[in-house]
Order: sequence, then C-alpha cells, then structure tokens
Amino acid sequence: MVGQIMTRRTASVLSTGTLPTLRTSSPGLLLAHRAIRFASTQPVSGPEEIGILNHQREKRPMSPHLAIYQPQLTWILSIANRGTGVALSSLLYAGALSYLFHPLVPAIDSAHLIQLVHDLPVWFKGTLKLPIAVAFTFHTFNGIRHLAWDVGKGLTLKGVYQGGYAVLAATAISSIYLAFFV
Amino acid sequence: MRATALRTLRSTTSSSITCNPARAFSISVPRSFAQPTDGAPPAGKAPQIKEFKIYRWNPDTPAEKPKLQSYKVDLSQCGPMMLDALIKIKNELDPTLTFRRSCREGICGSCAMNIDGVNTLACLCRIEKDASKPSKVYPLPHMYIVKDLVPDLTLFYKQYKSIEPFLKNDNPPAKGEFLQTQEERKKLDGMYECILCACCSTSCPSYWWNADQYLGPAVLMQAYRWMADSRDSYGAQRKEKMQNSMSLYRCHTIFNCSRTCPKGLNPALAISKMKYEMALDK
Amino acid sequence: MSLARPSSSLLRPVLGFRQFHTSRVAAVNASSQVRNAVVAADETGGFKYVPGGPILKGTVNDATTFPAPSKSHGSYHWAFERALSAALIPIMGGAAVSTGSAYPILDGILGVSLIIHSHIGFDSCVQDYIHERKFHYLGPLAKWALRAGTGLAVWGVYEFNTNDIGLTELTKRVWTA
Repeated sequence: MVGQIMTRRTASVLSTGTLPTLRTSSPGLLLAHRAIRFASTQPVSGPEEIGILNHQREKRPMSPHLAIYQPQLTWILSIANRGTGVALSSLLYAGALSYLFHPLVPAIDSAHLIQLVHDLPVWFKGTLKLPIAVAFTFHTFNGIRHLAWDVGKGLTLKGVYQGGYAVLAATAISSIYLAFFV
Repeated sequence: MRATALRTLRSTTSSSITCNPARAFSISVPRSFAQPTDGAPPAGKAPQIKEFKIYRWNPDTPAEKPKLQSYKVDLSQCGPMMLDALIKIKNELDPTLTFRRSCREGICGSCAMNIDGVNTLACLCRIEKDASKPSKVYPLPHMYIVKDLVPDLTLFYKQYKSIEPFLKNDNPPAKGEFLQTQEERKKLDGMYECILCACCSTSCPSYWWNADQYLGPAVLMQAYRWMADSRDSYGAQRKEKMQNSMSLYRCHTIFNCSRTCPKGLNPALAISKMKYEMALDK
Repeated sequence: MSLARPSSSLLRPVLGFRQFHTSRVAAVNASSQVRNAVVAADETGGFKYVPGGPILKGTVNDATTFPAPSKSHGSYHWAFERALSAALIPIMGGAAVSTGSAYPILDGILGVSLIIHSHIGFDSCVQDYIHERKFHYLGPLAKWALRAGTGLAVWGVYEFNTNDIGLTELTKRVWTA
C-alpha cells in the first residue's frame, strides 16, 4: 500500500472540513462555500516517507538533562562512587607506572616518598590525608552497599535512602579518624 | 441548473459527506448560562499568582534555540495538578503550547515530563503552592523534541517491541487456560502495572549516554516481567538476548528509575533480579 | 457502490459529480497499489546513522536489534566483577592488620586484585562514556591504552612488591609519616 505521509503540513492541508455557519437561502452560494474540495494525498514510497521524517528529525534539539535534573541521593552517591573509584585507581596506576622508571630514576622509590611526606607541614598532611580517607572509606562502604543490592537486599526506595545515609555517616566518622588520629 | 446540481450532489454525497449547514455548531448548554465578566475573576478567592517557566521550541522555526517561556497563572482559578495549569495556560494564555495528555488520572502515561527537576506525570504532580518560586517544566530529559514538551518516543517503543512483550509457549494446555498458582502470579505484581510513560528510562543517566543500545529500566522491567511469568516457556531465550555488554549491563544501579516512577514501581529491583538469575543460571 | 460506472443515463455529467467520481477512483486506486520499495529494518532512507542521534534505523514498526550474545561480556563479566569486589573486603582487612613485609603473598594478591578491580572500573567508564561505536578514534584508543596501562601497572606493582617494601608497608609508612 502506498504510504501516505501525515506530517503536520499535510495534516493542515487535509483538514479542509471546516464549514462556515452560513445561513443563506441561495443554494448556489452554499455550494461554493461548502468544502467540495476532495483532498488528495500524494503517494510516497517507503524510503521517501522515511526521508521526510528524517529531515524533520535532523533539526530536533535535545532536551536538557544533567543541567536540569534534580540532585538526588540516588545519582549523587552513584557518581561519587565512580568518581572516588577513578581517583583512587588513578593514584594506584600512577604510582605503579612511575615505579617502572625506578631503574632510570633511582629517586622513585618508597624511601624518597616517605621522606617527602614526612617533610611536609602538619596542616598540609592533614589537608592531603582527609580527601584521600574520605574517598577510600566512601568507596569501600558504598561498595558494600552495592554488593548488598546485587544479591537483592535493600532495593526499595526507603532501603536505598537509609543505606545511603548510613554510608555517609560511616564515611564521615571513619575518614576523620583515619585522617587525624592514625 | 445550480439547483439541480445541488440536488444531484446531495443524492450522491449524502452517504459520504454528512453536513448540515443549518446546524453547524450545536451545544447543549443554554445561552443564558454564559455571563459576561469583563475579565474580573469571581469574588471570594484571593488571587495567588504563580510563575511557570516552560520549555518551548517550535519546529516551524527550527533555527531558533529552545527557550524557557514564562507564564503567570492564578492558582485560585486553577485545578491542583500541573496538567490543570498547562491546560489553563493553553486555553487562556497561549494556545500554541504543545504537550501530550489524555486520561488526566495517571494511567495513560501521556503527560510524562520533567517538573522541577523530577520526571513525573503532570496530571499526578501537585502544583507547589509556594508562589515565590517559579515552577520549571521541561520535557523528558535527553530526548529529541518534536515540539515544546513533546519528545520523540519512537526509539523507546522500538526497544519495547524488541523484547517480545507477549506470552510465548510452545505447549499450550490441551484444554482451557494456562494454570498459575497464586505465588506464581504474585511474582508479576509491581511489574505488570507499568504504563510505559518513559519517566524511569529518561531519568537514567546510563540511558542518556547510551539510549541506542541500552534498553533502559522500563523495557528491562518488562523483559523480566515475561521471564518471571510461569506461563511463558521462552525464559532462557529471553535471557540469552541480554547476554552482551550493552542491553542490560549498562545498568549500574543508579536507582533514579525507582525514585522517579510516578506509579511507585521498582524497575531497579526487577533488573537486579534479572542479573542475579542470569548469573546463577550460568 | 460500484466505481466502474463510466456513464449512466440516469446521472447527468455534472461538474461536481465528475470531480467526486474521479478523485475517489484515484484515491482507491492509490491505496490498492503495492508499495514498490520496502525499507529494510536497518535503512535510514539515505541519512547518516549516528548512534545516539535523532535518525533511527528503519521504520517506527521495526524493533531494535541485539548484539550477538556472549556470556563473557554478559553474566560472566558481571559475576566476576562482583566476586572480585567481595573478595577485596577480606583482602584489604587482612592487609590492614598485618605488616606487609611479613606476608608478601598477601601483598601480591592485594596488588593484583586492586589493579584488576580498577581495570574493570575504568573499562566500565570507557564503555559508558567513550564507546567505540560513537568515538571512532578516541574509543579504541582509550580501550587499548587502558589495557596497556593495566598490564604495565601489574608489572609495576610486582616490581615494587619484590624490590621495595610492598604496598601494605608503603601505605602504613606514608600515612603515618
């Protein structure tokens, strides 16, 4: 069956059925005003039909997403888990890859690193240790929460929110302990 | 000649075109009910003006970038739901405002949109009475827009079709219907009620980044709905189709889906069960 | 109502009537023509298909397709990722309470499992954000750079555990430096 395009333009052309409320005694005039326009559609083949649609699709904008979506515990904690994971792993990879240069640069070894950190001022050490502790503890606790989900536990709206707040509390307590008391 | 033409025409067209110019518009409400108000709102209610900022884009002028248009609505003359406000704006302020709607009771899924940052149905979303803050209405996130608040849901429907959302069983009972215990039927609760409004899928960041290959929570929950149905015998084949890195496993349990579902369903749980069963079945 | 009425003595050929007759015939004839070009499910009618773009493949009635099934990319990968993450808990616990130099095997297991866990995490990011089907240069580049980086990192951790104090001991000493 030949496809009949019903784009908005064609639709408006087709809707010729509007009849004016003409109360007139002259049937001839009525005939002229009555919609005796038999609208015909243009037969269009399959690829043409899709072509017209795709022409319209090309121009369509994309609705906003990250910029307008409400910050919620669900996705904020999820992206934080990913962010902390990427940060910690980058640190690990950077360390492991840099040690490969130890034969060329003997200064790259544990003794030098320990000495470097030792020589930093105390306040700076704390400033450096706190974010690392937060990242590590958050990722660990959230990871456990994630593993619980994977066996089907706590996957309700209430469970996810309670678990999320528990992870945040545990992160706060343990990271302060690790950064300042260890 | 004209009169005969008209008579002849009438005899042939009466079967196909029914038109009676003597009764072009007839309404049942008597004319006396309409009373002129010269624009003043009825007495008794203090006006409560709230601003609505609504996403607009016109495909007839595609070069113009989408923008937020501001409308002020008197909430005392408006129904309680966002859809009431949208219809009031369309009726009284701007007839060109375009959005989908049908049942106005939260069962058809047509009016799904992003209101104040959350995907929900406009007919179920109460207007915040706090008039000091404008309400922001956007279409469903990360979708191509046909016009104003109308997204192109074609890909969503094509994905739904791809999971074969119908009962498949090669051995129907010889007589009568498929029998199912109450426990087996209970497994479908919380999944069959989905109205396919697309709120959940369009709230999922994974679906935002990979909509063409990741099926999204709505479709995945329906896929599991058929896997979990005891009357369906194609569970293994249905699971086999999910054995790739994209269709199912782009889900990272972000949980935006269940958080936003306007019907209170839990796609994240269904997906988790599906992953668990697929891992156990090897 | 028969459409094959070329002329009838009963009906005078009035202008309006003829218009009606021919256009209705034309309309019915048009609808009875078979579509002479069927669009395949992966055709776009001459437009470039971009994954994630507004152009979709096929008509609105064609279902989307699935990639070829492969359990190693599906449920096996998922199960391995969870098993490794779960195993990391006792491993980290063990490392936390022991002195690294006393248990080099634990150090080795810790290093390798941390790196594989990191690799799976990075790979997940690459697949989510810079997948090959959308990024024809950056995608494969990221994938292979990650694989190379992981291989080198495992080597680096091995060297460090063998020739230096080991991961556990390093963490302890740097943290309390």
